[in-house]
Amino acid sequence: MRTEFLRPIDGLGLSNEYRALLRPGESEAGANGTVHRLPRFFYEIGSWEEAHEIRLTPHFTLAELMLVDCREARLLLSQFAHYVPCAIVLLARFLEDFRREVDAPVFISANGGYRSPAHQIGGAKSIHAWGTAANVYRIGDTFLSDARAIEKYRTIAASLSPAVFVRQFGRDHGQTDDHLHIDLGFVNLTPRKCSEAS
Amino acid sequence: MLSVDVSNGLHEELETLALKKKARAIGVALHDLETGFRFSLRGDRWFHAASTIKVAVLLAVFRAADEARFRLDDSLHVRNRFFGAADGSLFRVSQDRDATPELYATIGRTAKISALAQAMICGSSNLATNLLLDFVGVEYARTVLQEAQVAGVELRRGVEDHGAHERGINNEATADGLLSLLSAIRGDFLTPERKQAVIRILLEQRFNSMIPAGLPPHATVAHKTGEISTACHDIGIVYLPEREPYIVAILTEFDPDTDGRREMVAAISETIYRSLLRTEPKSNED
Repeated sequence: MRTEFLRPIDGLGLSNEYRALLRPGESEAGANGTVHRLPRFFYEIGSWEEAHEIRLTPHFTLAELMLVDCREARLLLSQFAHYVPCAIVLLARFLEDFRREVDAPVFISANGGYRSPAHQIGGAKSIHAWGTAANVYRIGDTFLSDARAIEKYRTIAASLSPAVFVRQFGRDHGQTDDHLHIDLGFVNLTPRKCSEAS
Repeated sequence: MLSVDVSNGLHEELETLALKKKARAIGVALHDLETGFRFSLRGDRWFHAASTIKVAVLLAVFRAADEARFRLDDSLHVRNRFFGAADGSLFRVSQDRDATPELYATIGRTAKISALAQAMICGSSNLATNLLLDFVGVEYARTVLQEAQVAGVELRRGVEDHGAHERGINNEATADGLLSLLSAIRGDFLTPERKQAVIRILLEQRFNSMIPAGLPPHATVAHKTGEISTACHDIGIVYLPEREPYIVAILTEFDPDTDGRREMVAAISETIYRSLLRTEPKSNED
């Protein structure tokens, strides 16, 4: 596991333009009225090369958990440093356990890992803004695009921890039909060296 | 020869061809940039646009890039999942009907917008088309057509949207409309850099059995074909080194499973070429 590039920072210390996009520590109301605080502590990533080098677990690099398309805010898309919530390491750990259980490579889709609160898909209301959610589009040679595949792997993922939420197959709101959505809830992680004092 | 003579002669020849090949209908529009000659044979008749509609999507994508809505080297999530125009129901496009299998290998990952535009035109990829149209939005694309003063091209939905098709929601176009679309591309609607990029993509068309097949080998054509069970079209800008280009839209409609549809479009292309350059028909003895 290569994590020497991981540099935790307090998002409150970022420049105004980054803070406007990442909204560190701000409250965000969900669709059902629950309120959660957006991540405040981030790992600062200096380049894509670094992101590819950083192996969070034996089978997951940071890069594959932060791949987004052009629906991401321009500043966050095109310039480094990038900032990824520290809880991403917990997601990677879970995905590693899941991979071991299914005994096959697990592929995370674009926009399927961390997305900033400024991302056009879901925005700050999406749990992807916490860095604790992953959209898996393929396991081994199986594309997760039908009920059978999604339900099979949903059962396995859900069995690994009571904290894990996995969306059901379906075409209604809150369901998925072309990937497996796994998330660990609204987890915020404060690295040891960081203080939560404002 | 007076342009009215050319027009009358062309009209007669094309009608004869249509009759001979048992076309249900043809629509042809032509603008010769060398002489200014314009010709339209049922240019205002509406046809199912088939894949010629992808040129309208191409214009919208490049216009959006001109407006700095995104960059052409930006990446887009490749996902085979679209919402129908009729009722919002989900549908997927079929890999079997797509000439760009390589794009399906990237599902789940990303592809550059420029590469999708290329696949949409050169390989007529339905997946790329729907991804791009979904991204820019049908309403935006329609607005672009209005701004470009393109009348006669009705972009209503993505491709392979069978639910919409069953409810009569289709992309439709006239030959005059598609001619004005190509004219907008060749004009100053896009910035010079983007205009050149669009024409370059159209020049790299992989399906060359229609307009180019009726032309001499030294001609190059920036074009887009379109075929469904009852329609067979080709629209393009024909470049000849000895003269200014001409723009042509050839739309045809047949009963399903009629043979010789592409050959007929090629024959129309050849007829137009001969009329404009006043050359003799190709010999059958070659």
